[in-house]
Amino acid sequence: MPPPDDPPPTTTTTRTSIIDSLGVEIIGVMSPVSICMLLVVLILTSLSSPSTTSSTSPPPVTAATLIYVESDSDSPSHKLLGAVLDAAAFVALIAAATFLLVLLYYYNFTSFLKNYLRFSVFFVLFSMGGSIMASLLQHFSIPLDAPTSFILLFNFAILGVLSVFSPAVPILLRQSYMVSVAVIVAVWFARLPEWTTWVLLIALALYDLAAVLCPHGPLRILVELASSRDEELPALVYEARPTDSSHPVSPPASTPVASLGSVEMQPVSEASNSNSSSVDEEERSPLVSSPPVVRENLSNFNHEQVRDSNNSNHAVVEMETGESETLPLVEREGFRSSSNSDSEFEMFDSTRGIRLGLGDFVFYSVLVGRAAMYDLMTVYACYLAIISGLGCTLILLSVFRHALPALPISITLGVIFYFLTRLLMEPFVVGASTNLVMF
Amino acid sequence: MTVAAGVGYVLIALGPALSLFASVIAKKPFLILTLLSSTLFWLISLIILAGAWRAFLPVKSTELWPYSILILTSVGFQEGIRIGFWRLFKKMEDMLNAFADRVSKPRLFLTDKMQLALAGGLGHGLAHAVFFCLSLLTPAFGPATFYVDKCPSIPFFLISAIIALGFVIIHTFSMVIAFNGYTEGKRKDQIFVPFAHLIAALITLINLVPGGCNIGLPLLCIMAGTTLYYNWQLVWRRLTEHQTTRSSD
Repeated sequence: MPPPDDPPPTTTTTRTSIIDSLGVEIIGVMSPVSICMLLVVLILTSLSSPSTTSSTSPPPVTAATLIYVESDSDSPSHKLLGAVLDAAAFVALIAAATFLLVLLYYYNFTSFLKNYLRFSVFFVLFSMGGSIMASLLQHFSIPLDAPTSFILLFNFAILGVLSVFSPAVPILLRQSYMVSVAVIVAVWFARLPEWTTWVLLIALALYDLAAVLCPHGPLRILVELASSRDEELPALVYEARPTDSSHPVSPPASTPVASLGSVEMQPVSEASNSNSSSVDEEERSPLVSSPPVVRENLSNFNHEQVRDSNNSNHAVVEMETGESETLPLVEREGFRSSSNSDSEFEMFDSTRGIRLGLGDFVFYSVLVGRAAMYDLMTVYACYLAIISGLGCTLILLSVFRHALPALPISITLGVIFYFLTRLLMEPFVVGASTNLVMF
Repeated sequence: MTVAAGVGYVLIALGPALSLFASVIAKKPFLILTLLSSTLFWLISLIILAGAWRAFLPVKSTELWPYSILILTSVGFQEGIRIGFWRLFKKMEDMLNAFADRVSKPRLFLTDKMQLALAGGLGHGLAHAVFFCLSLLTPAFGPATFYVDKCPSIPFFLISAIIALGFVIIHTFSMVIAFNGYTEGKRKDQIFVPFAHLIAALITLINLVPGGCNIGLPLLCIMAGTTLYYNWQLVWRRLTEHQTTRSSD
């Protein structure tokens, strides 16, 4: 006689509730952003010892300090003017680079772009990451010799290059490399002088708004080109794929499946100049700078993969305004059994994830890193502001359903909260808590 | 005093919060979102308060009455915000229920609502701990420690960590109590929450007296324990009632 099935241990809670799986994609994007910011804050606070801040080391000559290099002895208005000029020059450079990218993409130089990006990832990971590693080793007096660290760094960089554009690399590895690239670039960017950083962030947020929403903005053209050719963008994007890979493409519109369906927040990382004293345009780090763009992706299946008869190549996803839900677990199982080929879904489930461009990661982290140079309170306030801005952008995305810039709302909120916290909240809270009066 | 001590202080302040987070909240993404939004809410209320009080700062630390007014206004404002938070919560609950009906899934359970309240309260407590305690802990990772004049027996970081711990517990569970109270309409619960918050904040005023922290700290912990106990009784009662009503049909 077969043994009876064991009763489920919890008799009343086997029903799944709707809040179990609501909001998975949003968290899937917010957690790498949070991890990136955390790493940047940790690196910046551990590397900025009192000795370096008091010494007058000249800031690196970069594209962002072409016109004016801030020094402590200038008056605030002079600094502001210089910062605005710097920011304008930087944004102009970025716009030019983006137009160049669009041109190359238009004339089908896609493989050139991809190789250029691979080179740039290698450059970032090896040389910029290497200098960070060197300063960390020095700061913490870690006993690691030069040849070993060289080999480790080289391996690290090569693996990063391999994972950037190839679909066969595990998604977790690719995501980690994207986050590391963003961390390295953000740490580098945070070394800019203070006024320049703030003005630059605001200028980039405005540029992002213009580039994505204006009809002739370069990013909008790029996104439309890519979607008309039905290809992936040749750019560095973070893809937040859901972890359970058994998602078949949902049959068009008949199921109550709503997901934030692949909104792509677009790519690109920014242009950062090398540390050499000669401001050489050609040596610019390949991360082409265009601020991120969010777009709704109508599927990104690889072209080889046109197998399933009942599923079209385009996943039409239904949007729920303001809410997002993944396929409930029950229905997933059902789909799995009904679909005829589930084995390839493991590899080609590229439809359901939000994509966020690396430029977003970098500039959010730059803002938080700059806040970290002041105080931990501002860090937390800016972190909350950025995360809520990101949440708002995602919600707007599900309402508007086309490309949206991810920088403006978050950066604006972040800057506002930084200055509010610094000017208003800090005297209040520090005054109260150092006297041990809390509420 | 060292990195170990710094991490220790962080864990004293945030230990229970982190374990609550890891065991209850991290499993459901929606609760994480609730936590983040309630933290943002508390931050905004704190900024508004700070803006209102900016003109009167810095307060002379020798007198008691400016601080008591500060506390009364702050606690009153925050409790008012809590009612607003509850209204938002009701709206969200309605939206979620409508959504559940549309996708033909069960509506929100009682445990769901309580978990949402818990996440909201934990957000408030986390925000308190970060802004009042953690942001001042950076020197604790260095080589020395610091004592406040009024309290020469305990290092400053330890006091603020313990106070933060007390307030985390109070904020977290008073949100659950408050939401239950507003939902059921019970006066007792509704009154308990602002009362407990106010008493706890006034207890910290004792710290202004030299040597007062030796009394203030244990009292605060007792207050936190009281809130915890009250919450326990309330939830136990609600769940058993709910269980009996469900099994009776």
